[in-house]
Amino acid sequence: MRIYWDVFMMALSALKANKLRSGLTLLGVIIGVTSVITIISALEGLSQSIEAEINKMGPTTFMVTRMGMIFSEEEFFEAIRRRPMKIEYMEAIEEGCEYCEKVAARTYTMVNVKYQNKKISRLFGIAATANFIDIVEYEVGQGRFFSQEEDHNRRRVAFIGTAIQDELFPNVDPIGKDIKINNIRYEVIGIAKKQGASFGHNQDLVVFIPLSTYAKDFGTSRRRLRNLAILVKAQSLELLDQAMDQTRVILRAYRHVPYDKDDDFSMLTADTIMDALNRVTKFLRLGLIGVTSISLIVGGIIIMNIMMVSVTERTREIGIRKSIGARRRDILLQFLYEALVLSLGGGLIGIAFGVFLGDVLIGLINMDMTPSLYAIAIGLGISTGVGLFFGIYPAMKASRMQPVKALSYE
Amino acid sequence: MMSLIETRNMWKTYDMGAVQVHALRGVSMSIEKGEYVAIMGPSGSGKSTLMNLIGCLDTPSEGEYYLNGKLVSSMLDDELAVIRNKEIGFVFQVFNLMPRASALHNVELPLIYNGTSKEDRLRQAMKALEVVGLLDRMKHRPSELSGGQRQRVAIARALVNEPSLLLADEPTGNLDTKTGKEIMDFLTELHRSGNTMIVVTHESDIAAFADRVIYLRDGMIEKDDVRKRAV
Ligand SMILES: Nc1ncnc2c1ncn2[C@@H]1O[C@H](COP(=O)(O)OP(=O)(O)OP(=O)(O)O)[C@@H](O)[C@H]1O
Ligand SMILES: [Mg+2]
Repeated sequence: MRIYWDVFMMALSALKANKLRSGLTLLGVIIGVTSVITIISALEGLSQSIEAEINKMGPTTFMVTRMGMIFSEEEFFEAIRRRPMKIEYMEAIEEGCEYCEKVAARTYTMVNVKYQNKKISRLFGIAATANFIDIVEYEVGQGRFFSQEEDHNRRRVAFIGTAIQDELFPNVDPIGKDIKINNIRYEVIGIAKKQGASFGHNQDLVVFIPLSTYAKDFGTSRRRLRNLAILVKAQSLELLDQAMDQTRVILRAYRHVPYDKDDDFSMLTADTIMDALNRVTKFLRLGLIGVTSISLIVGGIIIMNIMMVSVTERTREIGIRKSIGARRRDILLQFLYEALVLSLGGGLIGIAFGVFLGDVLIGLINMDMTPSLYAIAIGLGISTGVGLFFGIYPAMKASRMQPVKALSYE
Repeated sequence: MMSLIETRNMWKTYDMGAVQVHALRGVSMSIEKGEYVAIMGPSGSGKSTLMNLIGCLDTPSEGEYYLNGKLVSSMLDDELAVIRNKEIGFVFQVFNLMPRASALHNVELPLIYNGTSKEDRLRQAMKALEVVGLLDRMKHRPSELSGGQRQRVAIARALVNEPSLLLADEPTGNLDTKTGKEIMDFLTELHRSGNTMIVVTHESDIAAFADRVIYLRDGMIEKDDVRKRAV
């Protein structure tokens, strides 16, 4: 056993003695592993944040929208011709769908928010009904969400995200203060719990106002309600399908869809969204991993090349070692250790870089950076594999040298 | 009872494609434990080839070689490596030290390959360096030592495993006359303390240190001259 350790130490000192060569090899591995891990952790982070986002909807909730999810050009050109959703559908579903527990509606648009002389431009203004907060699991941090009365009475009240609080109210309690949303005065009544960022946009940079107030202040034009979605919570998971069927019938009637035509709206559950996204990310994953594997192979070839040069250059050394009793496996192990130390070292650095870059890529940098175990396992697996695969040939070559020939090598 | 070394009709042929070079053509000899043998002969007569075979660095193309009663001529690579490690101490003309390692590490190296513990290794390596009088230079690298000192480090490395056989292929070839004589005196002393010694040389005053001289010519033993048999 001891000999393996001693041979390992010899490998380390050989690496130290050839700093430039070791550095170059490391670089090759780092580049390869970094690119693979960047892609993996970006995709991983993307799926995770999508999942978190969608899970906010809850398993018993479905969403009715005009466009839904589009996977082809034809679908797109069909979908953009659809008529917009209307707020009345919400009441119709509330009345006609017996398996539906709650029905909410929301739309969004980009707004500017001002408080005194401070201003934030282009952030998400979400206009929703009061029960939106019950269906979508946004949590109240401070104060309260607006009530049904406030929505009905078109009161100018606002529920803000923590980023707005941080930027506009650094030293003041925002509750009860008036802010201006697109120059219209609204009273802040509550603050959401911190959400963090997802897909590169800060989810705390958001302001909620009642849907009816929005209709009054911003109008009900086609453009204004373009993003309207109706969120329906079924009474239970078992009744989800029935609730969706009833909703479909109601909407088709309201939108006068002929019986032989497809729906001109779309209904999505957390599950269907997740499925579709998984399909997309799976393709991305395969494609991108394929591309980045090339850089890994390049890294591996660099290792092999440098190892071959190293073996040739150290022929005499190998001869000396053999002449005093090193067996094939002692030499083999020493060169394999050298390759493995470089590839694993490069792998670890590559993982660190990759996880970091992956997060930067999808704008998650301000979320807690927990590198996925999956990425680490893949990174370590890949770099060990590369080290072994590309290190074994030079190491075998070294181990099989004839002592006399090796000793007389010039 | 067999001799320490026994070769029977040993041939070494190098296949050079167009021609075959017969470096050895049927060498049969025996050397007893405790002998001091010089191998002489003109350049190209096969002295180094014979030494490499005796030292198990290579195997004969034909014939048998018994070392300590074991047929080493048909052994596999790794078995030979173990023999080289345990039974043979080889001293080369060009020293063949690891250039980046200290004298101590160079001497310690054979012990690493047989799994000796770190403490034992250091103790034995330091003892061997003491025998060659270089304990105070153990931290030096070969480049920081004189030629004679380098050869003494190489001798310490050859001694460290207490081999049954010490081989030296022109050990003074890269040294000046005075240093060469010192090294030969030293090797002679090692022989007196009980080591079996074979030295290749083409200088008769070096061969004069030995008790027996084997003359090679064209890969064959021309003369086996026993002057004073060791008892
Ligand atoms: N690897 C080899 N390939 C081909 N021929 C070889 C090889 N090694 C030695 N020879 C040949 O074998 C013969 C004996 O060589 P060897 O090195 O044993 O001679 P030597 O007696 O040691 O000579 P010197 O006194 O010059 O060292 C020479 O003709 C040499 O050219
Ligand atoms: Mg020679």
